[in-house]
Amino acid sequence: MKLGFVTDSPADLPADQIERYNIEVIPAILVLDGQPYLDSIEITREQFYQRLPTFRQPATTAAPSPADFASRYEKLLTTGCDHIISLHTAEKLTSIANIARQVAADFNNQITVLESGSLSLGTGFQIEAAAEAAARGLNLESVLEQIQSARHRVCVGAALDTLEYLHRSGRFPAAVTLLGSLLNIKPVLDVREGVIRPLGAARTTRQATNLLLNTLQEHGPLEKLAILHTNAPQRASDFLASLRASPACPSLPEQIPLVNVTSLIGTHAGPNGLGFAALKKEPVL
Amino acid sequence: MTSKSIDGLAVKKLVEAGLAWLRTNQQTVNALNVFPVPDGDTGTNMLLTMTSAYNEVSNLGHHSAGQMIAAVAQGALMGARGNSGVILSQLWRGFSRALHGQDVIDAPALAAAFAEARDTAYKGVVRPVEGTILTVSKDIAIAANLAIQDTDDPVEVLRRCVKAADESVQRTPEFLPILKQAGVVDSGGKGLFFILEGMLRFIDGESLEAPLISVQPLSAMNLENAMDDVEEGQDWEVVVDFRPQSGFELQAFYNRLEEMGTSIQVGEGEGMYRMHIHTPLEKRYEPIDYIMSLGTITKVAMENLLAQMEEIGNQAGTTLELTNIEPGQIAVVTVSPGNGISRIFASLGVAAIVSGGQTMNPSTKDILEAFENLPTDKVIILPNNKNIVLAANQAKEVTVKQVRVIPSRNIPQGLASMLHLNPDGDLDKIAEKMIKALESVVTGEITVATRSVEIDGVTVKEGQVIALLNGTLAVASDSLEHACMEFLEKAHASEYELITLFYGEDLKHSEANHIADLIREKYSGQEVEVQEGGQPHYQFIISIE
Repeated sequence: MKLGFVTDSPADLPADQIERYNIEVIPAILVLDGQPYLDSIEITREQFYQRLPTFRQPATTAAPSPADFASRYEKLLTTGCDHIISLHTAEKLTSIANIARQVAADFNNQITVLESGSLSLGTGFQIEAAAEAAARGLNLESVLEQIQSARHRVCVGAALDTLEYLHRSGRFPAAVTLLGSLLNIKPVLDVREGVIRPLGAARTTRQATNLLLNTLQEHGPLEKLAILHTNAPQRASDFLASLRASPACPSLPEQIPLVNVTSLIGTHAGPNGLGFAALKKEPVL
Repeated sequence: MTSKSIDGLAVKKLVEAGLAWLRTNQQTVNALNVFPVPDGDTGTNMLLTMTSAYNEVSNLGHHSAGQMIAAVAQGALMGARGNSGVILSQLWRGFSRALHGQDVIDAPALAAAFAEARDTAYKGVVRPVEGTILTVSKDIAIAANLAIQDTDDPVEVLRRCVKAADESVQRTPEFLPILKQAGVVDSGGKGLFFILEGMLRFIDGESLEAPLISVQPLSAMNLENAMDDVEEGQDWEVVVDFRPQSGFELQAFYNRLEEMGTSIQVGEGEGMYRMHIHTPLEKRYEPIDYIMSLGTITKVAMENLLAQMEEIGNQAGTTLELTNIEPGQIAVVTVSPGNGISRIFASLGVAAIVSGGQTMNPSTKDILEAFENLPTDKVIILPNNKNIVLAANQAKEVTVKQVRVIPSRNIPQGLASMLHLNPDGDLDKIAEKMIKALESVVTGEITVATRSVEIDGVTVKEGQVIALLNGTLAVASDSLEHACMEFLEKAHASEYELITLFYGEDLKHSEANHIADLIREKYSGQEVEVQEGGQPHYQFIISIE
């Protein structure tokens, strides 16, 4: 049985992985001053942040069209796949998974639609785990188990530089306690089961970075790790350097990419944000 | 009272006498302030603690001495304010413990009670400091123990204790160099002395009233708290500065003023006099006309106290959106000195706010009442002042709720700590994080010196603007701007990221912004944030992080 994989651009899957496992990536849509753009295709992340301060209206996002899903599914099924796993950004944060489900209903149980409960590489690591398992020849059931296992082990944290964009998006009720703050606050958040929760808050970038570092270190040995940022490559590489230099540094994977996350997250998080996506090692029994 | 023992009714009389004599000497104790800053006055704190203690027994009839003291101790506990007030309440607690079940107090029982009082007070403080009220309580206990070797008269024991307390207070600067530097003795010890001396004066039939006429130095005039005792019908406050002609007679002056109003205070400095009085509406011009006949008036200030009180009431009533706490969540109770600061704390998720700070230390009871009715049993207290930490700890002792006190010594520390609250977290872990956050911020407090002094190597003239860096006197200057800039330099602000200015009630937003702009000019690498603090007496509270 040959498995095909579909995900979305907010999963932030690196190009080499997309290519290696032949993963179909559905671009989310950014609406910038009333004009729709396909995420990462019609506007690069760098371009997005460059234009961010000049937008007359706050940037918003839109879900991809059902037709886009249908054509990807058909393409995979007609090129030899027997079954498709369509794994998407947390359904509590976007409607992408919902649209996928609606489209998949027309495909006679050939498509399993899942939502990651996470975002960025929190989703990406799950689809990677699935694709790796399939490449090792595991059957559908075992691959789904791998996704379940990865879903429980991913963690995503972020230190935003400002509450402004999160505030505008109105999307994160759990962070609400911080939003009313009269002080300028840099919130530190994590994402669990699609819910964005405040882990703490800082008044300065340094405090926020330290808080994020402590949060990451509490997760123990890591199988995969990516340092995420919203157009702040220097902040990301500094963070990685201090992580490696930390005496409490957990065991880290060899490759740790620095990822300028999807503009979709950028619209809600604002620029100069820092974060991580990690996949914890399976506990050795 | 027999000559050899003290019964319950006598205990009540003695407590009343101690309270009366402390009240008479309240300003003397208040003046014993090490730092020249307006802060929680020890005399006032101890007086309020004693008042609460006496109120518990004022209506009690015949009871045993042990029962009477137990009631006094309970009243002191609930009314305890400031560090000295809390220690005073612990002295009463020990006293009461030793006398439990006693019908009357004889000499040995009195000595034992002083010893237990000392032990209880020492145990109540994490790191006892000598040269304070604790040392005085220790010397009293020693003197009592020695006295019972050669007398069985409790009055004689008390007499020797008063003498020992007096000597002990005089020795306090030998233990605490900071007292010596400031040229004062320990205020809490002095307050304790006055309480015991008042009891002895009562027994000896001496007056517990103040000498009728007194002129205090201008700097000692405390008009800030005059609002606290506005009497009905006396709702205008008149303050007149004047230079009397020769032949000015104080006694006659007082006599005449007493016909016009109450709360009379007269201060003098370098030939300049200041008169303060509360009068009814129709008499508000009389003091001015009268003083005009005595000399040259340089300044008159007149305020409608009732209207002001209403305003304060209204301000306090402005809607603060406090966080609703669910059962099982952690509720934070914070002490705040101003409306602006209260709003900021509220926006960060505190569940209850107790008004207070430097100049008005809330009592154990005030703090307790703030959280007793919250629908959770997990409570974190942010005292935000070193002189409120003990009262907060005491509130923790008397409640069944699980309470953690974060020993925040100022507002910036309280705010830094607040950022680490997770109401759904583990109480101990959250408290640990909040305590750790205290040291993440550098604090500045900018105020006007209440007297001239040389301390911590800084020479301060009364009326100068001074800056405290993490509680230590760092800068004295003739201008607010200059004091702020020099403070930031001393605090190495250029090595930090963010400077936040909380401006006090005496400054306008535009004045605060003007100084913020000067700071931005010099500290271009730092962010500068301006917030309305609304605190009294302190032009700025500054946080650097």
